[in-house]
Amino acid sequence: MTRAKRAVVALCAAAALYVALAEVGKGRLPDRIWMGAHYIDNIQLLPTWRSLFEEGTFLVESNILVDSALVSTRRVAIGLAIGSLVGIALGLLTGAAARLETLAEPWVLFFRFTPALALLPLYVVWFGYGEASKVLLIATNVAAVTLLGAHEGVRRVPRVYLEAATVLGARGFFRFRKVVLPAAFPAIFASVRVAAGLAWVTIVVAELIDARMPSLGYLLALSGAYPRVPTMLIAIAAVGAMVLLFDGLALLLHARATRWMRRAA
Amino acid sequence: MDATGGVTALLEATGVSYSYPGDNPTLALDHLSLEVARNEFVALLGPVGCGKTTLLRIFAGFLTPSEGSVRCAGSTIDGPGWQRGYVLQEEAIFPWMTVRENLEFGLQAKGVDPQARRTVSDELLGLIGLGAFESAHPRGLSAGMSKMVEVARVLATDPEILLMDEPFGALDAQTRARMQDALLDLWEQRKKTVVFVTHDAEEALYLADRIVILSRRPGRIQADFRVDLPRPRTVETRFSPEFLLLKRKVWEATAG
Repeated sequence: MTRAKRAVVALCAAAALYVALAEVGKGRLPDRIWMGAHYIDNIQLLPTWRSLFEEGTFLVESNILVDSALVSTRRVAIGLAIGSLVGIALGLLTGAAARLETLAEPWVLFFRFTPALALLPLYVVWFGYGEASKVLLIATNVAAVTLLGAHEGVRRVPRVYLEAATVLGARGFFRFRKVVLPAAFPAIFASVRVAAGLAWVTIVVAELIDARMPSLGYLLALSGAYPRVPTMLIAIAAVGAMVLLFDGLALLLHARATRWMRRAA
Repeated sequence: MDATGGVTALLEATGVSYSYPGDNPTLALDHLSLEVARNEFVALLGPVGCGKTTLLRIFAGFLTPSEGSVRCAGSTIDGPGWQRGYVLQEEAIFPWMTVRENLEFGLQAKGVDPQARRTVSDELLGLIGLGAFESAHPRGLSAGMSKMVEVARVLATDPEILLMDEPFGALDAQTRARMQDALLDLWEQRKKTVVFVTHDAEEALYLADRIVILSRRPGRIQADFRVDLPRPRTVETRFSPEFLLLKRKVWEATAG
């Protein structure tokens, strides 16, 4: 069974399970929950397919869902691009020059483990409430991941390739461009793929806290304010779908760029 | 042979010792001296760990001897270079390049223009008989073909010396026999000085003009004799009585 077919089967199974749970829970789950300072009544903890469908139709017809998805996607794409370029460039440098590595290492560790939440207020202060702070936040997280990926990619180039290149008279930048870089490419690209997922995590967090304009995060925050559970679920599903889309694109690009790797090297 | 009749050594190791660094430095080579003449095909034979790979890597310039010196055409070897082609057992063909790009790599590194590069790679493709695979990536090649491309790749820059470390070790017996013949064909057409490391006595005898046998660690020269089998070598050579006599000679030399 191909990967796509398996994914479809898995999704259908998950959907069937959800429907079952929602139907079972309709009469049995509490419809009164404690939120904030008071109880809220008439909450569907597991909305049935009908309410999901109704609200989904509304969101799509009013363009809210599509606009939000587009805005969030744009931010992720730009942040991913900037972060990847910066991260890969720095990673290549530190991978190729040991002295630079020791300088950069503490900074890399710091940014890698600092969650987006911690940096967000700082970025808002530095870059304002607009697009810049969110995009740069994504770029920071992405850069930390791709820096490591590029660095490891360069370091892990098999010694035989380096020796073969040296014996054939390749030195310095020529050797880097024609041997090191292509050999490191799979590892670099793998880190970009991981960074894409991380970028989505980051943007949702950023948009939840600093909600402006149409965005998926804002949609989640809004639906949480009422609360409207069907919209919440739809927004979460939308984010999930975008992540899958980005990942799928990354896989396609990777497959095309590394046709030469098909045989086990 | 030069004008006076003396043999001109192309590769010289004089009193070479090598110790692997570390907490317990192990002596891999012990005051070893060896001279290889121009266009001579020398096989370095010995058991595992005898230092033959170490010696080859010293000749290639990847290692510096702890004692003694190595010289190539009179000048000290101070690093790897295209003048000393080096092929090992591990697969080192660049998988992201086509066969032709692999062949032209050394020339490109030297700054040779595309037209001249193409002439050389055309010739090499003809020599190894892989013209049909010029735009193929290594993934489309068998292990044996891949290895021949590697050999041709180092020949592209026209080095004087070819250093080979058990290049056919990873191949099955039949492919290995074919590769040995292919190598000899190549060598007949493009005479080079070859130092060929192997642990297979038959391979050594089939290929070489001269066998140098190294002892167990630390490596010293245990035997050094000529292989006077007629050239070109064929499958008949392998079954000739002279071959068997030589095999016995090698056996007795290594039994000690």
